[in-house]
Amino acid sequence: MKTLLKLTTALSALVLSANMALAGPEVVSGPGANPECFAPWSETTKFFKWDAKEGPYRIAVVNGFVGNTWRIQMIKTAKAYAEDPSIKDKIKEFKVVSTGTDAPAQLGAIEDFINQGYDAIITIAVSPEGFDRVIRLADKNDVVIVPFDNVLDTDKVMQVNEDQLAMGRAYATHVLKELAAIGKTSGKVLEVRGLAGNSVDRDRSIGINEVLDESGGNWERVSVVGNWDDGTAQKVVADAIAVHGEFDAVLAQGGTTGVVQALLDAEHPMIPVSGEAENGFRKLMAANADKGLKGISIGQSPGLVAISMKAAISALEGNVMPQLISVPLPMATYDELEDGKNYWSDLPDNFFTVNEFPPCDVNISGPAIMSQSEADVK
Amino acid sequence: MQMVSLKRGVSQNMGFATAVLLLLVLYLTYNMMHPRGFSSAVAIQNSNETVAIAFVAMAQTLPVLLGGLDLSVGAVMTLTNCVASLLLNGSPAQILLGMGLTLLTGTMFGLMNGLIVVYGRIQPIIATLATGAIAMGLALLIRPQPGGNVDDDLGWALTNSVWDLADTYGFADGGDAWWLRPFADIPVPFLLVLFVAIFVWLPFRRSVTGRTVYAIGSAEGAAYMSGLPINRAKIAAFTLGGFFAACGGLYLAIQTSSGNADIQQAGAYTLNSIAAVVLGGTSLLGGTGGAIGSLIGAMILRVISFYFRILDIDPLLQPLIEGLVLLTAVSFGAFRTLRVKNQLDLFR
Repeated sequence: MKTLLKLTTALSALVLSANMALAGPEVVSGPGANPECFAPWSETTKFFKWDAKEGPYRIAVVNGFVGNTWRIQMIKTAKAYAEDPSIKDKIKEFKVVSTGTDAPAQLGAIEDFINQGYDAIITIAVSPEGFDRVIRLADKNDVVIVPFDNVLDTDKVMQVNEDQLAMGRAYATHVLKELAAIGKTSGKVLEVRGLAGNSVDRDRSIGINEVLDESGGNWERVSVVGNWDDGTAQKVVADAIAVHGEFDAVLAQGGTTGVVQALLDAEHPMIPVSGEAENGFRKLMAANADKGLKGISIGQSPGLVAISMKAAISALEGNVMPQLISVPLPMATYDELEDGKNYWSDLPDNFFTVNEFPPCDVNISGPAIMSQSEADVK
Repeated sequence: MQMVSLKRGVSQNMGFATAVLLLLVLYLTYNMMHPRGFSSAVAIQNSNETVAIAFVAMAQTLPVLLGGLDLSVGAVMTLTNCVASLLLNGSPAQILLGMGLTLLTGTMFGLMNGLIVVYGRIQPIIATLATGAIAMGLALLIRPQPGGNVDDDLGWALTNSVWDLADTYGFADGGDAWWLRPFADIPVPFLLVLFVAIFVWLPFRRSVTGRTVYAIGSAEGAAYMSGLPINRAKIAAFTLGGFFAACGGLYLAIQTSSGNADIQQAGAYTLNSIAAVVLGGTSLLGGTGGAIGSLIGAMILRVISFYFRILDIDPLLQPLIEGLVLLTAVSFGAFRTLRVKNQLDLFR
């Protein structure tokens, strides 16, 4: 009991504590540097400014899960971009590690790189919460942490992402436009959703359904879960066609090659389809556009890692940066497809086509990434 | 005389001794290669990263000593992590109560596992596969989305050195008292694990119940015929396993200031805990080994991955290399097969 009392007194002192002097970025007013590339998320986005550091810098990428095409392509992109002439001279040391879906391991890796004196750490967070400690340490040591893709629920770090809600809206807007062009303002649409419980799936679906609601048309909606995976999506779309018959359009947000394959297998008439930026989807769209597959392909690009690296370097150079950077959506409609430019008939189906961001001067083409052999970069 | 007993101690705990040696070599080399090796910051980072897996490995040890496997340890860690993320805030008394309730949740879950295994007469591996899914379901119910609001100062104080702990809570002259100096640079998480190992595991191991756990693993029939409390020992083993897993979950919540019902993470922890147990010299057949060994095993597991951050290894080759190193490390334990006089010994 006495020890408990002692412990309680010790703990009650906690109210008086927290006198930690924190460094870290200064909150300033915008606009930031290079706004075409580093666009602030919204009008209320804060701007950060770190003290300028002498280059060249030491940069680390701490990935979580590895083992799907997107992540592997992301890692290859990071390595290729680190060798890009435009930033090669600014990087002294570059390291990539993957920790798996293990929060302590990812936090540990970030902390280790802070201890080793790295200047910037790029990461795809395994969880949107839980980074308070490493953010505190990074601020103390003037290290720039840049989460991208799976971002954190905090406004204390600079983050890079694409606007998933806008992406959902763009999917539906294009599909409705194509349907209107053939005189349909109501009908039956199939929504193919992504991984349940994920914020990306949630936001894209909200965007899609908002546009359907706003259109005023009477849309009968059938929703299936495809997990952003070609195999799963192909199966659930085939099932949906078997049960519900013909659809007027498909609003998919991933696994799109499988979606279109299911339509072809069922000899379903070609209809407008929205989807991710898989090479396979674009191949099928290019081949079947004249039969009615008037789709749109917008993707979450593995190239976000390159923009995050660029943003980190820009922050280290002392430029004013938005706290949340919105990367322009890389989109291509059926009439814009061109072999060798925004899709590659000689590359595999699961390759992600969107890698180039001209406003950011990030121009690593698909074949360049895929030819990046393991032995090339040390 | 002492030399002899030391020698016998080592030869009787070959697996454990190899694990300690391996850890020493790996960890000293790591520190020598690290730009800030042998510093408090590095030790703090390393121990923070290791705590959760160390506790989960200790949790796994008990069912393994019985000759079974517990597939729910990762899920129980996740469940208690989510419980803690709800309860660890408010006044100091509320926080302490929250910690107690978190540990109680895991302990009760372990008790349930034990009761199912003993009175349901279901193999531990199947029983815990099911209860693990239940724990995961409860965790998702409590925390459908990652989040939580664990007290900031608590998180900072317990994930740093003793000096920071004293500084945050303002005792021992803010950490500058002379009597605190010798301990000031020791990471708090390391002390927490040590505390639980010494004050929970060691007394249990020495008790009749604890020794019965070993006896069951060696030869359940003989243990039964000797009149040992079989059922009590099995239930106690699973309950203690639940408590250790809850320690892991509690620490994870403090470390990340949040809870996350991450199914993949729970699975990874369960599998890694088995690897850590084996690395620490505990036999999957049961009867030999111990939680301290698993603690060492968990550390080895972590140190292997530390190397990827100081060496230049292609990121896509890292899982392959990690697997090879792990396989080599586990194989050290198999060396005893080269020295057996009678092959029947292997079937013990």
